[in-house]
Amino acid sequence: MSETGQRTDAIRFRGGGFAPGQRRGPAILVFAALIAVWQGGSSLGWINPLFLPSPMNIGEALYAVAASGELWRHVTASLGRILGGWALGTFAGLALGTAMGLFTLARSIGLPLVSAIFPVPKIALLPLFILWFGIGEPSKLATIALGVFFPTAINCYSGIDGVARNLIRMAQSFDLPPRDIVRKVVLPGAMPTIIAGFRISSSVALILVVAAEMIGAEYGLGAFVLQAGHLMATDQLLAGVVCLSILGLMFGAGITAVEKRLLRWR
Amino acid sequence: MELRLEGISHRYDALTVLEDISLTVEEGETLALIGPSGCGKSTLLGILGGLLQPSAGRVVATGAVPANCLNHVTYVFQDFALLPWRSVADNVSLALEHHPLSTSERHERIAEVLQRTGLNDFAAAFPAQLSGGMRQRVGIARALAVMPAVLLMDEPLSALDAQTRDLLMEDFLDLWVRERTTAVYVTHNLNEALRLADKVAVLSRRPGRLREIVPLTIPQAERGSAAALTELARLHDHLWGLIKDEARTAEREVADV
Repeated sequence: MSETGQRTDAIRFRGGGFAPGQRRGPAILVFAALIAVWQGGSSLGWINPLFLPSPMNIGEALYAVAASGELWRHVTASLGRILGGWALGTFAGLALGTAMGLFTLARSIGLPLVSAIFPVPKIALLPLFILWFGIGEPSKLATIALGVFFPTAINCYSGIDGVARNLIRMAQSFDLPPRDIVRKVVLPGAMPTIIAGFRISSSVALILVVAAEMIGAEYGLGAFVLQAGHLMATDQLLAGVVCLSILGLMFGAGITAVEKRLLRWR
Repeated sequence: MELRLEGISHRYDALTVLEDISLTVEEGETLALIGPSGCGKSTLLGILGGLLQPSAGRVVATGAVPANCLNHVTYVFQDFALLPWRSVADNVSLALEHHPLSTSERHERIAEVLQRTGLNDFAAAFPAQLSGGMRQRVGIARALAVMPAVLLMDEPLSALDAQTRDLLMEDFLDLWVRERTTAVYVTHNLNEALRLADKVAVLSRRPGRLREIVPLTIPQAERGSAAALTELARLHDHLWGLIKDEARTAEREVADV
């Protein structure tokens, strides 16, 4: 330490870190490693195939049900319910969310109502829907639609509520009719939040379709998984789970594509 | 078109923001509205264009309207208020789409104002891709596209850096001052007021009252000349003297709302 206190140092860089990125490589590697360890454990006999079949067994089971055409039937049945229920719930949710975003009366009534019913697990209402609509498709569609309805309504409402006031005032200052303000300013402004809601509602639909199909359905991935469980066919059970995971990924990818298209301006 | 303010007062609940403001913006004149921050300049501008309902008083517009005028009283906003999901041309188009214009008429108008504001090459760009100055040019192009009778500008340059501000100010002179479009220009920047205005209205601190109207007799085109500089410096000192003490008080004030 010098007595004069004079020093000559290069300034140390201290602004690094805290800027995480995302890379594909490590994810693939870890996935592959997990499957390899799993397969290794099964092949060496460390894992009881009844409790956890090997990845290879699951692949074989998947191939078998796919080849017999059975899988296709289950997948299409589930997809039909998801799309139908999701469309119904989304349509109704967007309608209520838009009304809550725009009108005092709708907001005053809608918000407490939504807060009261949103936390109810929708699957708890399935028995009631079965009483109302019978055991067939309508009760399943109603469950999914109701589950989808709330997150959609809430996201649509908060998206509209978050549209910058100054943009609305600008539109008013150019005398745009209210209908045009909603169509050209409010809804596009709320679109990012609405699409974020689709991400939630599509997962909700996937969860609810499986649950609904476990009660009184002949076809559908939920019914398939349940049957496999009853028969202790764990390889088939997990094959069904793999299909569900793939469906979820596909919905996510679809929404990302929609986002890319509609939100190009960001 | 001429704008006459008759006894405008405005209150937000118990807080009086504007008190009994009467003043006339004459045909073809640019009026700068200055005052310490929080004096209600922007509120007054909102009232002028019908975006805010005054608690008392009214604004009367009289006089000729330009041919093809689609929106008599038109704003240019401080934060530009551009739709981020529309391109430059489509942002201008927004002000025209709900009017009964043919597609070709609309495109002509858009092309013309983009030409005048120097945005020709940026018609397809999105606001996020533009600099602040360019964005405000879009705001101005949009306002000009409706051929306004009165332009209301709420600190249109205050979100921009000093260099951009000077450049845009010169363009403003070309775009509306020389065309003698009636304009009200809210600013807290005395130099902008002295460069652009025909008349400067000074508001007092809250509650905003009209303190003085200072006419500027030197034509805008001659304000750069050496002869004008002393007179403008004198006016600058005079205006600054009017608002300095109040600006200081306003700055030290603890917001009680």
